[in-house]
Amino acid sequence: MSKRVLLHVGTPKTGTSYLQDVLFRNRRTLAGHDILYPADRFDAHFLAALDLMRLPWGGLESEAVGAWDALAEQVRHHRGTSIISHEILATASRAQAGRALESLGHGAGAEVHLMLSVRDLVRQIPAEWQENVKHRASLTYGAFLDQIRDPQRQSRIATWFWGVQELPDILNRWGHDLPPERIHLVTVPPAGGPQRLLWKRFSLAFGLDGIDLELEGERSNPSLGAPETALVRRINRAANRELNPADYRPLVRELLAHQTLSRRTRSPRLALPPDAHPWVGEITRSWISEIERRGYDVVGDLHDLDGAPPVVRYADPDHPSEKQVAAAALDAVKALLLEGARLRQSEERLRRELEETQRALERSYLRPTYRWREKLVRRLQTGATGRGLLKAYRRLRGRSSRAA
Amino acid sequence: MSEDTPGVRRAWGWTAHLLEGGTTPWHDWIEEGAPRGRYLPGAQQLELLRRLNATGRPGVGLAGRVLDASAPGRGRPDLELEGAVERLAFGPPPVDPARLPDDELIRVAANVLAEDVVAAGLPDQRHQARPRLWRTKYRLVGDPVLADPMRAALVAQGRPPGGRGSTVLVLGTDAGTMLTHAWTAGSLADGAPAWRDWLAGRARGRALPRRVDLLRTARAWAERVGPERVRVVLDAAEVPRLVGVRRPLPGPHPLSADATDLARRVGQVLGLLASPGRKRALVHQALLPRLVAVGGPPLVVPPEHADWLHARAVRVRDGLLRAGYAVHGDPDRLLPVERAGVPEPSDAGVLALAMRLLLEPGEK
Repeated sequence: MSKRVLLHVGTPKTGTSYLQDVLFRNRRTLAGHDILYPADRFDAHFLAALDLMRLPWGGLESEAVGAWDALAEQVRHHRGTSIISHEILATASRAQAGRALESLGHGAGAEVHLMLSVRDLVRQIPAEWQENVKHRASLTYGAFLDQIRDPQRQSRIATWFWGVQELPDILNRWGHDLPPERIHLVTVPPAGGPQRLLWKRFSLAFGLDGIDLELEGERSNPSLGAPETALVRRINRAANRELNPADYRPLVRELLAHQTLSRRTRSPRLALPPDAHPWVGEITRSWISEIERRGYDVVGDLHDLDGAPPVVRYADPDHPSEKQVAAAALDAVKALLLEGARLRQSEERLRRELEETQRALERSYLRPTYRWREKLVRRLQTGATGRGLLKAYRRLRGRSSRAA
Repeated sequence: MSEDTPGVRRAWGWTAHLLEGGTTPWHDWIEEGAPRGRYLPGAQQLELLRRLNATGRPGVGLAGRVLDASAPGRGRPDLELEGAVERLAFGPPPVDPARLPDDELIRVAANVLAEDVVAAGLPDQRHQARPRLWRTKYRLVGDPVLADPMRAALVAQGRPPGGRGSTVLVLGTDAGTMLTHAWTAGSLADGAPAWRDWLAGRARGRALPRRVDLLRTARAWAERVGPERVRVVLDAAEVPRLVGVRRPLPGPHPLSADATDLARRVGQVLGLLASPGRKRALVHQALLPRLVAVGGPPLVVPPEHADWLHARAVRVRDGLLRAGYAVHGDPDRLLPVERAGVPEPSDAGVLALAMRLLLEPGEK
């Protein structure tokens, strides 16, 4: 049974991909310090979360069958500290959270700590819309804002958004059975702060200080600017019906969004519309007051949640500068052309390899023994007796094969 | 742990009442009770149990599982009872469970039903005859709801499809039925959006789905095997003769609109409980026979889609004739016809069906 379980349940867009990448790549180093990060693939905890919450995810869920129980079993068998991290766990229901805690040994000797990394809504709201767009959504920013501002919260967009972002509610669902000193909030510092400050907070909260970890991450979830997000939304509208999810992921999300458009860092950034700031400010103040009242451990500063003031020049992604969208589209076309060229070269190389294989196969057929057998078969096929012999031989060979 | 307030105690009292088989709605309930767990079950779970109690006699095991089940997938979270807890500044608003839409209750019911299907497992495998040495070589493609049961019956008779020189039989019927069949096949396989959303997507593109676009299918096979080996079959009664059997082959499963929608919803959860191959087997061999046994009106395409569907069917018919494929049956059979049925599944019907299956004898 793990003595200590650090269960990181969110929230999205708070540096979670980087944290998970560091933990995954440093599994051996961590194991040397008796810390288990139980994952045989980078997205192991994501799959476990899908399984726990019975959440379909564009077909990926078929790889998730039984993943939570397998993960929990590894944690229960470890005698030191175990870390589990995935941001979509934030949306788990009380029943799912209860099942997860129990499966990790809560109430049976394990000391479970709940970790929640949090960022201001001023950045989270545009980031969540962008994340929706990178997952094939084609709704406008305005429609997204209308849905999340609807007090009834009945739409899929709104239930998901508040499910993974409403901090006191997430803490209610996950932490109602844990003492406040075992609930840790890591705040994401404001933009433009010292580099690595967020990592230092993670390191402190997860007890990783003093461990020599390789921190140069390969994975992150880079952001897009307003015209780039507008472009991806238009691509979704145009291509969604014909592009399969399995092709969308590598071509649109990875190649276009992450590898190409996210490099355009000089375009206007996505931001919260100025007129939404008072509403967000009111929510944030109520959250901070509630979290302070509950007495959780906070790594960082709760007032990081206040967020930045409204931007002076707001770039509305629903009415973007067409010149900027066209420039982004040009970059996208170039990236797709280069990818097309790479695939053509790859196809040509494979074609050559196939031809070489076929020639090698033909050469092997030209060996004397093969030629003799072929000649014999041809001769036997010319007469009724020969055909009978061949039939008997093939039947015998078939039986032998089946018996084997 | 839920707080100890009169409202919460009243909710626990109602929970106990429901676990004992009670059917009183929440807003009429006044008695308090002791906590029975670390947290109150959600409004959806409690209301589903109340409806089950009103419909039949769920066992203790089923009642407990309903209260423990979260609604799977994306959607509204487990909700608090209005009047049990105060409306806080955060979290979804509490609700009167009697006013929850049926869709919310179906999500929970589908979760429990999927668990039942997995627990029941697969029926014993039917005897499969060994492949016959001398058999007509064929492939059955086209409308999957027509082709799949026929192919399965032929395989069971020792006549698997394929083999050198196979004749490709492209099965079809009227375009409206094929459209509903395409949604049905998607619902039973990888999952599909709700009928209305799915149909709206088709109507925007004014195109038949690939799997029931007979012209496209025939062309694709003609390129592979040559047009002389492609036959379009619009009269299903012709199939036995074309595949060399005397006995008639089974027709499509008579699945009602509500049953198809329930299969779609349960199938989504099954995708998280079983590997893809086993999920398919569970849907077709364990769930489908139970749904077929219930009966009910089939799905038909709503009349507002008649124009584009007719135009598309005419194009397919003319394209097949122009290409010169052998056609068995009247080519006009491709044109949409009026059939009895319902234009969409009803949530009330789907919920009633889900509860009926949950309450069937043998279910825990």
